[in-house]
Amino acid sequence: MTGAHRRILVVEDDAETADQLVDQLTTSGYDVDLAANGREALDHGAARDYAVITIDRMLPDIDGIAVMRQMRDDGIRVPFLIISALGEVDDRVRGLRAGGDDYLVKPFSFVELLARLEALGRRSETVAKETILRVGDLAIDLIGRNASRGGRRIPLLPKEFQLLEYLVRNEGRVVSRAMLLQHVWDLHFDPSTNIIDVYVGRVRRKVDDQQAYPLIHTIRGIGYCLRAPG
Amino acid sequence: MLLAKTLKSSTFRLALIAIGAFGLIVSAIFAYVYWSTASYVRNRADRAVVAEQASLRDTYTRSGRDGLMALIDQRTADKSFVDHVYLLVGPGSAVLAGNLKQWPPGAAEHGWTEFRAPVSSSASVGPLVRGMTETLARGDRLLVGRDISDLDGFTAQIRAAGLAVIVLIFVLAAVASIGVTRRTVGRIESINATSRAIMRSGLDQRIPLRGSHDEWDRVAENLNLMLDRIETLMGEVKQASDNVAHDLRTPLTRMRGRLEKAYHAPRGSETDAALIGDTIADLDAVLGMFASITRISEIESRARKGAFRTVNLVEVAGEVVELYDAAAEQDATRLRLAGEADVPVTGDRDLLFDAIANLVDNAIKHGRAGGRVTVTCHNVEGGAVMSVADDGPGIPAEQHDRVFKRFYRLEQSRYTPGNGLGLSLVAAVAHLHGARIELADNAPGLLFRLSFPAPAVGAQGG
Repeated sequence: MTGAHRRILVVEDDAETADQLVDQLTTSGYDVDLAANGREALDHGAARDYAVITIDRMLPDIDGIAVMRQMRDDGIRVPFLIISALGEVDDRVRGLRAGGDDYLVKPFSFVELLARLEALGRRSETVAKETILRVGDLAIDLIGRNASRGGRRIPLLPKEFQLLEYLVRNEGRVVSRAMLLQHVWDLHFDPSTNIIDVYVGRVRRKVDDQQAYPLIHTIRGIGYCLRAPG
Repeated sequence: MLLAKTLKSSTFRLALIAIGAFGLIVSAIFAYVYWSTASYVRNRADRAVVAEQASLRDTYTRSGRDGLMALIDQRTADKSFVDHVYLLVGPGSAVLAGNLKQWPPGAAEHGWTEFRAPVSSSASVGPLVRGMTETLARGDRLLVGRDISDLDGFTAQIRAAGLAVIVLIFVLAAVASIGVTRRTVGRIESINATSRAIMRSGLDQRIPLRGSHDEWDRVAENLNLMLDRIETLMGEVKQASDNVAHDLRTPLTRMRGRLEKAYHAPRGSETDAALIGDTIADLDAVLGMFASITRISEIESRARKGAFRTVNLVEVAGEVVELYDAAAEQDATRLRLAGEADVPVTGDRDLLFDAIANLVDNAIKHGRAGGRVTVTCHNVEGGAVMSVADDGPGIPAEQHDRVFKRFYRLEQSRYTPGNGLGLSLVAAVAHLHGARIELADNAPGLLFRLSFPAPAVGAQGG
């Protein structure tokens, strides 16, 4: 999100949670506005242009989803990250269908929130039209669905390619396990095993073994990041 | 006390209403029979009187007063005309002929009349006579009638019989309804007594059966079965909450101890960082357990049937196999998909994925390192079957039932990671899909089999 505006609207009615969010987002380099209820959120949304709006599902006055719909009707195209204590799958689906771009269940780790904000913020930037994406000496061909390093083809299964593609598209950004499950496997729940780590481990062996430098890095406690050195 | 309850019971009130309605109808039928019999008999008598009168009038016209008098004398002497009444009087009311001593007072001059005629002087009340009077040409008056006392007796008998039957019916019906109601109230009372005992003391009470195999015994049996089920569920809930308490207390105690130690120790960024990291990991485990519990509750509450579509079981199983391929490789387990290529079921793709993933996860974890795990999908008559088989140590047959209970973990797996909720979730998903879940011995190893019903007609593809 370099160069782009880094202003975020946080809609959260619990004062302590709101404080923590504002504090940590500010530390991470965002400019943060806070709205404690739906009405304030609508006012802020109309007055300013935001990179992302995080919205609590249950607000004291208007339902978070209703606020989101209202803003969408007003022509506000900002990506929404719904944050809710209602974790049930149906509820997530309802939230996403109503115009939310991503969904995070309370309680969440801050790194997970940051990872999702980064991914959402990037989405609001212009999407590249290239068909071959490159990171360092890795090249992935989106049409041919194949990957190579230094010109040598890496044999990948379809899901492995999808996983690598997602990492490449989020180059330099932390991607959480939940995000991988969601985007690569379309699973909106956590299988609560280390299955993702094992899977990424295999992709990493195929991509990084016997290469000049590693591309896929483990970010402890949250997930992975693909980046070239330097 | 029981009688008071009987009289107050709704069954008794209903019976009373039924008796009332029935009694009214019976009374109406008897009234009709009485009325139509009486009028039939009376009409016949009347027609005979009219005919006799006409024939006497003829004689009078043809043979004059003396001819008529002779005929009347002849008739009154005739035994076959014994219930006939005749009287011919002159213009001065002097009796000329007949078996009446005088013109009956109050009898009409012309037309139908009814009176009591003292035929013999000894009888104080004579028989009831119905007759017809007529004034003839020369001022003579003729009365022809019949003794209708017998007819009167006949109708009185019908009336008495009718009343007796009606009274009998009411009495019998009242006795029967009190009896039936008492029985009903008695059975309900025993159910009520058991309910009160359950509310007072606990779920161990059962409604006594009478062994009559009637509908009351069936109600009692079903209520008892329901109580059994509730008792089992309560037991499971208690077991589960005990397990939750245990499984939550362990990480919470660890966290508390760790934080307490750190609180008293000097701050050191290295140790603090490790401590905070471990605490967050423990907290995540606790939260994960909560998430699993709410997820199972959500599935069990059947809130998700709306999202059901026709799903190809093979596709879902294939995705699971692909996801777990790397994990199997790590254990040197050969994980493979077998069976048909197109096995449709009606269901929720995410839930099915979760269930199959749990079974595969279990099979890899508890199977033999270097062994085989096979996921098989088949179409069968009236549905589909999905099975996950390993060739590990398996589970003793007597513990098969218990593995689906929440938090149930076999002693031997106490030290492998997992919160014991996986198979409960599989069971909940199976139940939601109407699928039967079975455990079988794979000799060696364990085989989980999910038997799905045939896809619902009209389900949307997707």
